[in-house]
Amino acid sequence: MNRLLILGLLFCCSIYPVSRAAAQDTLSLDFSRPVNGADVRSHTWAFEDHEGKVTAAEVPRLVFRPDSALFHSRKKPLNHVNNLWLRLRLRNSGPVDSLLYLFTGWHDDLAFYAANAAGQPELMMHTGLMVDRGNVERWNHYTFPLHVRAGETRTFYVHVRNSFYRENEFLPVLYDPIHYAEFRHAQTDQYKGEVLVIQMLVGMLLVLLSITIINYTQLPDRSSLYFAAYLLGLILFFTLRLELKPFQLSFFHFCPLFKFYWDIPALLFCFYFMYMLFGNMFLNLRERYPLMEKIYRYGAVLTGILIVCCIALIATGNFRAPAMIYTWTYFFTLIPFGISFIALARRTRHHPLIRFYLFGSISLYLLTIWAFLNNTEPVPFTPLPELVGPYNVLVLGVLLQALFFAAGLSYRNKLVHQEKTKTQEMLIKQLNKNKELQRKLNEQLEELVKEQTTEILRKKMELEEQRKLQLEIEYSKKLAEIELKAIRAQINPHFIFNCLNSIQLFVMQRDYEHAQKYLSDFSFLIRKTLDFSRRNFITLADEITYLNTYLGLEKMRFEQKMSYEIVTDPSIATAELEVPAMLLQPYVENAVKHGMNNEDHASGLLMIRFNLLAGDMLECMIEDNGIGIERSRALRTLPGHHQSQGMEISLNRAELLNKMYNTGIQIEIIDKSKKQANDSGTVIRVLIPQL
Amino acid sequence: MIRAVIIDDERNSRDIISLMLNKYCPEIEAVASAANCKEGIEQIRKHKPQLVFLDLEMPDGTGFDVLAGAYDASFEAIFVTAFEKRFLHTIRLSEVELILKPIDKESLLQAVNAVTARILRPRRHERYDVLLSNFGKPAGEMRQLVLPAAEGDEAVVSVEDICYLEGLTEKTIFYLADGTALHSPRPFRYYTELFAAMRFFQVNNHQMVQVPHIQKIDQDEHRLWLRNKTMLEVTERRKKELAAIWKQS
Repeated sequence: MNRLLILGLLFCCSIYPVSRAAAQDTLSLDFSRPVNGADVRSHTWAFEDHEGKVTAAEVPRLVFRPDSALFHSRKKPLNHVNNLWLRLRLRNSGPVDSLLYLFTGWHDDLAFYAANAAGQPELMMHTGLMVDRGNVERWNHYTFPLHVRAGETRTFYVHVRNSFYRENEFLPVLYDPIHYAEFRHAQTDQYKGEVLVIQMLVGMLLVLLSITIINYTQLPDRSSLYFAAYLLGLILFFTLRLELKPFQLSFFHFCPLFKFYWDIPALLFCFYFMYMLFGNMFLNLRERYPLMEKIYRYGAVLTGILIVCCIALIATGNFRAPAMIYTWTYFFTLIPFGISFIALARRTRHHPLIRFYLFGSISLYLLTIWAFLNNTEPVPFTPLPELVGPYNVLVLGVLLQALFFAAGLSYRNKLVHQEKTKTQEMLIKQLNKNKELQRKLNEQLEELVKEQTTEILRKKMELEEQRKLQLEIEYSKKLAEIELKAIRAQINPHFIFNCLNSIQLFVMQRDYEHAQKYLSDFSFLIRKTLDFSRRNFITLADEITYLNTYLGLEKMRFEQKMSYEIVTDPSIATAELEVPAMLLQPYVENAVKHGMNNEDHASGLLMIRFNLLAGDMLECMIEDNGIGIERSRALRTLPGHHQSQGMEISLNRAELLNKMYNTGIQIEIIDKSKKQANDSGTVIRVLIPQL
Repeated sequence: MIRAVIIDDERNSRDIISLMLNKYCPEIEAVASAANCKEGIEQIRKHKPQLVFLDLEMPDGTGFDVLAGAYDASFEAIFVTAFEKRFLHTIRLSEVELILKPIDKESLLQAVNAVTARILRPRRHERYDVLLSNFGKPAGEMRQLVLPAAEGDEAVVSVEDICYLEGLTEKTIFYLADGTALHSPRPFRYYTELFAAMRFFQVNNHQMVQVPHIQKIDQDEHRLWLRNKTMLEVTERRKKELAAIWKQS
């Protein structure tokens, strides 16, 4: 340990006098001789302007000191804004006026001043990665032409202001024009290689992006969209990297600060924000791994906030804090991501998509770590790709990741397609099954309906038959009842006993001839009545005889109080026409009674007419000259009056006959006074269709 | 001589009645005849007969109309009809005479004898009031009843006062709400027929109860109690019907 210290001390002591001795204020150079990258570190004195308040006019009064530690030949991380004024005094010791070129490196903000005759610095050139808007010619601004006449000494000032977190090679060197051209060529060639890699990558990413977008239009899937965003972020990032490669064509030179904005935020956006969103969507974590989904979602949100913060910081001119943020983010998330990868890996079997995701993620991670570990640049282990030496390893990682993700996406599409097909197949199967089921059901239903219909029809028929039977029974019952009533009522018992009374009188009066006649008529009538009441139809001749006998008996009872007449149309074949038995008798009896009840006439007149109307319709008119049905009815409503039972029965009977034999008998009762005011009486009009 | 008027719309009928009176009832003299109600009332007013033969059914009314029309004239009536069921109930409740055509000698004589007895012992003939009061009403609303007494004294009874009646051999006893018992020479069967359409119910072979007078029916014991605490037997087959009727009223 002590030895080491002593060694270090000795080294310092040895350096000091050398640097001291070399720190000559003015550099004498023969401009006519070739100058190829002469290191002018020892003659370039510097002043560090920490506050950044020094103006060009103050520069001659500044105290410049030689400080070779400021210079470095490789990239270097920067922890503070490097605001330097450099002074170079040059004496042309050669015989000719000539030109030399000064190159200090690719800096963020660079200004060249040449002191004029009065010793005041004059701004000759202002350039820098953050400032210069020139196209490819801007790269020529970084080398400064030094014109020093032979034997003359001139002072030049360079103002360097590096605020990015990385400082490029910082070494003041001089070239004669020829060697400057060589230097240029070498630089161009060197960066061409890097640019080629980047361009290839960008090209591939563009292809992937278009494929992804096409896929998305075909199969709208959020994960494709996120992947496209990821790709776009990467493309932009790498395209902007081109801006940093000298002597190469670039696209965004008109906005030199853009590349600095889309540096750390781009890394955060692509490898954290979009990465986690894509993972969520791609792996369907919401359904398969809700906890991880939550973590990824919150992680994405947090990264989003960080991106916004970084952009805000960059806007204020602070480039180092975002770099710190990214560094810490990278280191802090290494283990959680590792855990999540392991957790995901355990589920690979059930979820083939995880494999793609993991391979993509791990390949980038491993390659970045490998690249950072084997960093050729003299910087400590850092996740910032800007500081990493073999940049191509990172590019390869990114490419691998993108490819794995793309493959995963297409596999996912395949799965979706398969699932769709499967679902469709199942649907079709189910549909077929349903159809089959429906068919069966329909058949069953049809059968059932058929059965039911026949059952209903059968029942209906049964019911109909039953109803018919019942109706028939009812009819026959009614008929029997009415027949019975007919026997009892149609020949009014009153009439019978009065007849007997009359016969009795003849007997008592010893008028045996009359008694005989009366008795034989009466027995004829009773016999016919008994006979007819069992039959439904009798011939018209029989009916006329019957009515004649009946009216004869009535006439015998009432003598001159009544007269009657039966008029038959001579064209009627009375023996052939048929009329319902005992249908007319009640009307005739009624007519006899009414005819005698009229006080306007001394005797009742009864007319019975039989006519044959067109269409074989037999018309019977029973006409009396009584008071008429209307008045008679009015009288009958008084208490104690006889209700005409016979007529009612007759009406019932006509109805029954119509129902049973479809005879269509019509009975019409007309009050004569309604037709003619001075006339009175009732006309019963019975229409009996002949079949 | 008993003076009689014959009212009948048929001449044959009038002739035969007068012929038969001539032949079988010499103590009755037919002084006039009429063919309808109006004429009949006039003849009654004119001749003031003690007896009137009244046809029930005439063109301008019934025999009751004649009775009501000539109510002021005091006479006994014998109703004559060929076939008339409608007024039978009214006639029987008031115990007036009715003969049917063709008239036979026995029934004519029986009716004539019955009225002759009444004519000979002049008194107020309440039976005609009962007849007129019941006339025209349905059977259920007829309020009064004439009970003939064996000696010819009739008693007028308000139907609603009858608690129950009991049939004995050849006579019927009526027990009234006030505790009196009245005798009728008519057989029990005569009254069961007469009261069938009214609120009476035959509870056993010889007793008939007016339903509103029942207080309680003991179905298990086959007994019933009337409001006047009389207990009557109810035969097995009649008790259910009785209970139903009693509940309704």
